[in-house]
Amino acid sequence: MSSLTRRGTLGLIGAAAAGLAAPALAARRRVVVGAMNLTSHAGSFIALERGYFADAGLDAELKFFQAAQPMAVAIASRDADFGVTAISGGLLSLAQKGAVKVIGGALSEEKGIDGQKILASDAAFKAGLTSPAGLDGKRFGITTAGSSFHYMGARIAAAHGGRPEFVPLQKVGAVIGALKSGQIDAWSIVPHIAKPLAASGAVHIIGNVADYLPGYQVTTVFTSAANAGGDRGLVEAFLQAFSRGVADYNAAMVDRSAGEAAMQAVVDIIHKYVYADQPREKAAVSIINGSMRLNEGAAINLASVRDQLEWFQSEGLVDAGITLETFLDTSYVKVIGA
Amino acid sequence: MADTAAGMAAAVEVPFRGGGFAPRPKRWVGPATFLALIALAEWGTWAGWISPLTLPRPSAVVETLIALARSGLMFDHLLPSLTRLAVGAALGVGAGIAVGVLIGLFSHLRAALVPLVAALFPIPKIALLPLFVIWFGIDEGSKYALIAFGTFTPTVVATFGAVDNVDRSLIRMGQSFGLSWWSIVRKIVLPGAMPGILSGLRISLAIAIILLVAAEMLGARYGIGAYILEAGALYDLERLFAGVVILSLLGVLTSAAIGALERRLLGWRG
Repeated sequence: MSSLTRRGTLGLIGAAAAGLAAPALAARRRVVVGAMNLTSHAGSFIALERGYFADAGLDAELKFFQAAQPMAVAIASRDADFGVTAISGGLLSLAQKGAVKVIGGALSEEKGIDGQKILASDAAFKAGLTSPAGLDGKRFGITTAGSSFHYMGARIAAAHGGRPEFVPLQKVGAVIGALKSGQIDAWSIVPHIAKPLAASGAVHIIGNVADYLPGYQVTTVFTSAANAGGDRGLVEAFLQAFSRGVADYNAAMVDRSAGEAAMQAVVDIIHKYVYADQPREKAAVSIINGSMRLNEGAAINLASVRDQLEWFQSEGLVDAGITLETFLDTSYVKVIGA
Repeated sequence: MADTAAGMAAAVEVPFRGGGFAPRPKRWVGPATFLALIALAEWGTWAGWISPLTLPRPSAVVETLIALARSGLMFDHLLPSLTRLAVGAALGVGAGIAVGVLIGLFSHLRAALVPLVAALFPIPKIALLPLFVIWFGIDEGSKYALIAFGTFTPTVVATFGAVDNVDRSLIRMGQSFGLSWWSIVRKIVLPGAMPGILSGLRISLAIAIILLVAAEMLGARYGIGAYILEAGALYDLERLFAGVVILSLLGVLTSAAIGALERRLLGWRG
């Protein structure tokens, strides 16, 4: 760590440049931002498309992943510099090994805003699974053990004293297929996926995640531990650009304070990355329906993050020795819910 | 040239130059290679020039294995996996040997089935897993089917090849002694094909173990494959390697079992 690497040296130069409040004057630094084709990554999409990354002196490139875990591994292997994804057991393990650090928050559940939905398959619904109270012993779909789905399913069922049987299916697509064909009974997912599924009649919405996990910090912003610890200029530049994208998204899509034209403009940007295979009119409905709060200024909800860590530890999915300090660097953004 | 002349004059004794180029058993070299590599990894992870992100410490993997065995979870994972292996491989290998022998014996079946088998062989069975889930259900059915399908084609190919390679002169001898068709199949073709079938079995069963991890990707909570996948998702390298070690041991054990079977069934070779 103490040796002066090329990256480290660049970081120092970057930090010096940021200190002079003229990051745009410094040579633009290449950063790879991990993303998924979900509206929850809108902050990155908007920051890229509207040139906010460029304004902050970053030459950003999006790299797409199919699941949260590979993105965390890519950050650890330095194939990506920043990522936005759910806190998972894999992320915590990588943080414990000194590879990654969570530096901010993104997607949040907020009362009053339509958030993630709890779904039941048609067969299970007809057999009486009409509310989350009946989840005990039911087959709950998850991608992998230690994923956010695992956390949500366990916490929601536990609120009614239940314990579902978790079925790992590796990919979101496989979970959707299994739910539609009735191979699993229940699942929880962001609204822009949940609502079209429910509209098709193959699945039913039986509850809201926000009712069980208010303030749930669904996704977080993270980077390599080396960046977080030794390259403040880079991290601050990224968070500044990302937060501008988030602010645009919230104003246009969540608070709807920016007017209809601004909303349509943001939908156009998101549609390049989410439901790009569908016609715009059809995609726009899902994108607008699925709007959820992204934390202003990438603030992070500490209470929720702590609850997630405690659950992962209570299930024996991650080492009991991990503390908040192990994986969290709160020096960059505002902390809420502490 | 002067040397040759001098040599001829002195009638030099020529040392034996034969031998060599034949593998000889060196019992200790195999284990020593393993131990050296493991010791190197242990030293590297202990001294720090191998980061914990790159490789787990071998002693920690051993501790994980011991903890797994003590907690009884090892049994919970092994039992479903061994059942899946046994049922899937029995179905696939059984059908494979039967079809392979039939192809070897009957020209019409050969003409009909060899192209079919050639078409099925290169299909990545993992790609068909979602389909198997719809056909056979997300529980054990799809897992048996995947392993059975994966072991079937290599077994067929190995079996009809082995039947083709049975010594023709032995068959002709049986015919000149007036043996019935069934007698020739039972007493000459099947025993003669057995070495080829058994060596095909080594490959089929190794494929079965590989497919076990794939089979447990969808909907398995217990099983060595599910355990490895879970460890990978949690980036828990100790458990990942513990699972891999179990799979390796499983491979060594099946190979040894086939070796024992060979000694029993192929005793006639003398």
